[in-house]
Amino acid sequence: MEGKLRSGQVNRRRFVQAVAAGATVAGSLPAVGTSAQTDGVVRIGVSEDGYRTDERANIGFYPLNTGIFESLVTLTNDYQIEPLLAESWEFVEPNTWRIVLRQGVSFHDGTPFNADAVKYTMGRIASNGGGVMGLGPESCVIVDDFTVEITPDRPNRRFMQQIGHPNNSILPVDLNPAESRNGTGPFREVEYVVADHYTVETNTEYWGDKPEIDGIVFSFYPDPTARMLALQAGDVDMITDVARPSAGQIEQMGATLMKSPVGAYEAMYIQLHGEEPYHLGSDPAIREAIGLAIDREVIVQNAWQGNAEPGYTMIPPAILGDSVSLVAEPAYDLEKAKSILEEAGWVGDDVREKDGTPLKLVIINGYGTAADHGTVPEILQAQLREAGIELEIVQTPDTATYEQRLAVGEGDLWLEAGGQNDGNPGFLPELLFSSPEEGGDPESTMYGRAFAPGEIFDDQIAISQAAVEVADVQEAAAVGMNILINEVHVVVPLCGFYRMIGASERIASFDLHPSGVNQKWTSLKLNG
Amino acid sequence: MGMFILRRLLLLIPIWIGISLLAFLLASLTPGDPARLILQRELGHQPNTEQVEEARERLGLNDPLPVQYLRWLGNAATGDLGNSYRNGAPVLDSLADRFPATLKMAGLGLAMSVALAVPLGTLAAVFRNGPIDHFSRIFALVGAAMPGFWVAYLLILLFSVNLGWLPVAGSSTWKHIILPAVTLGIAGSASLMRVTRSEMLENLGLDYVRTARSKGLTSSAVIVRHALRNALIPLTTILGMRFAGMLGGAVIVETIFSWPGVGKLMIDAIFDRDYPMIQGFVIFMGTVTLIINLIVDIGYGLIDPRVRAH
Repeated sequence: MEGKLRSGQVNRRRFVQAVAAGATVAGSLPAVGTSAQTDGVVRIGVSEDGYRTDERANIGFYPLNTGIFESLVTLTNDYQIEPLLAESWEFVEPNTWRIVLRQGVSFHDGTPFNADAVKYTMGRIASNGGGVMGLGPESCVIVDDFTVEITPDRPNRRFMQQIGHPNNSILPVDLNPAESRNGTGPFREVEYVVADHYTVETNTEYWGDKPEIDGIVFSFYPDPTARMLALQAGDVDMITDVARPSAGQIEQMGATLMKSPVGAYEAMYIQLHGEEPYHLGSDPAIREAIGLAIDREVIVQNAWQGNAEPGYTMIPPAILGDSVSLVAEPAYDLEKAKSILEEAGWVGDDVREKDGTPLKLVIINGYGTAADHGTVPEILQAQLREAGIELEIVQTPDTATYEQRLAVGEGDLWLEAGGQNDGNPGFLPELLFSSPEEGGDPESTMYGRAFAPGEIFDDQIAISQAAVEVADVQEAAAVGMNILINEVHVVVPLCGFYRMIGASERIASFDLHPSGVNQKWTSLKLNG
Repeated sequence: MGMFILRRLLLLIPIWIGISLLAFLLASLTPGDPARLILQRELGHQPNTEQVEEARERLGLNDPLPVQYLRWLGNAATGDLGNSYRNGAPVLDSLADRFPATLKMAGLGLAMSVALAVPLGTLAAVFRNGPIDHFSRIFALVGAAMPGFWVAYLLILLFSVNLGWLPVAGSSTWKHIILPAVTLGIAGSASLMRVTRSEMLENLGLDYVRTARSKGLTSSAVIVRHALRNALIPLTTILGMRFAGMLGGAVIVETIFSWPGVGKLMIDAIFDRDYPMIQGFVIFMGTVTLIINLIVDIGYGLIDPRVRAH
């Protein structure tokens, strides 16, 4: 039927029906449009074009990773690293990574991939600040055509977990991605039109498992509703980044909603070191009571319409491996929350008080933007009120405003959402909760100044930094997370977020990665 | 007329400097460290102290504000608006790349506004309190009350999802411009139509119209050649202002329709505290608005000799 309409056979009755449907947007959700596409090209609606064009140009690989380029290692769906252009690696004391490269790989223009390309790429990263890896201009040394030794400028045993980030994709010598794109990946560039679309075709000479499709057209739709309507209209076969509250509409329109493992989180941090009037978080009883008074299932159902999971770690559980069991699952126990507050002297029938001070807290919503958190602040407000805690909500429109406030410590509770894009389990805990450096820039150390629990946590970070074996890092990170959540109660995890895509019936299967920038499009399969 | 234009041109200089100062101060005094925000976007996580400091130095953010302003103004006067913190591209190039798309969309949107508003407003005045007048009143009310994004979604649902005539969003074919232009056109036509109606009503009651009728001119000649022509004089100013508004304020429409114009560029720049882009946009759009106003003033002077005399 839709195909007929598109070919222009529209009678008056049909037109009137369409007008009526248009006038009742919310109530009527026509079935997803039939795609006119008959070849093996998949059309995907993605969010906005976020590429850079300067010396840090990243066209083709970040934030939209089109599969043109590849890194030395890749991140599996459970955040473990696997060989890609690096075949194997070993750590050489005190601070060097010896990496053996894959042989028989070529860039799309036929240039062989070898150690020169790795050295050029590492040099490019170094000239742009060195990244989290701490690379310097002399860090990469060629041992032979297919072996390099990389020595970061500072001790870094997490190098291999970090280097897999798509921003560290391997480029052929002298390539400027702002001008042309020539990688080793399973797809090669056909056309890139800024802010409109990016077309790639299958690289038939690819060294690994070849894609089972002919190519992909990525169309940029910054607006999530427009993206969904594009799927509904049949303009695209698949859309990424489905908005959580409206995910239900995907299935209502007859498309398939696919979900990844959890790769992002929503959590609340409680300020430990605030000055009056933001000092109440220094009371351990208040922190513990807050954690106990929050029913995560209600947040998942009401704020996210069931399209999330109750969270009990801040970082993706999978990245902790078997050590995830070391992080105790926080309980919801309103009565216990009340009794803890009573015992600590916070009493009263309505809003509790202690020595004339009302138990009133300010929550800052939030990071990245207030809009990212939907109705979560209001739900938290209602739940904490049950325990006798009054919550004032302050909305910050963007990250800058949020951080401006955090830098001066004006708030008790801080609502954040974030994600994990590399394989280092200790990265986020270290970044956000390590003790601040003495004399460090207040803005740069703002998280530590507000939330760092001190030595008890720093010790775990030190273990995680010093460990070579992944299992040891996972254990230290898990113990550290448990300290933050269940011992010091500075972190209150709320939800674990998975990625969602909407797919038309053309899509047979797709392996959705929890980290969008690490998505591998080779897993796309079409029906028929 | 020459002196009139010269006076208007000279007046633009202090206004332009005022705009530049405002643009610089507004952007620079908003909360948030651009170096940190740029690094966050770039790295996908929080940067450390050294990285932030290196970026601040590289971007010249450690210099005093007056130094930054004078450096920027000197460069801006020579057409160098600096490089975007966000993507490194020269600001002027980015604006020049994006502005034609906005110009096209706003131009077509304005044309649609006029095409809808002027005939409907004229007919509403001529057939005062008749069915057309009632319809125009409802149309104006609905058009003014419905937010642009809602109109956009309704149009997409109707023409893309249900009828399949037009693409939802994008910019690669001529079909892509229709829905954003219609969205802007509907939003702009409501008030324009009401102004046309009231101006027409006023003119239709004046002596010169009665004289024209008594000379035996046809009704359509009286309405179109006399009343409408005079009624359009105040509309010229409104159209100029509306056009400038469409050029700078079509952000939501551009976002919904993935239209690669300057509005979306500006919003991204604000979120990223991309000072050079914000400042460049404000000075660029300020200049465009001044030029439009100048053209309107000149046009007004040409249409109405009394303006030149004053």
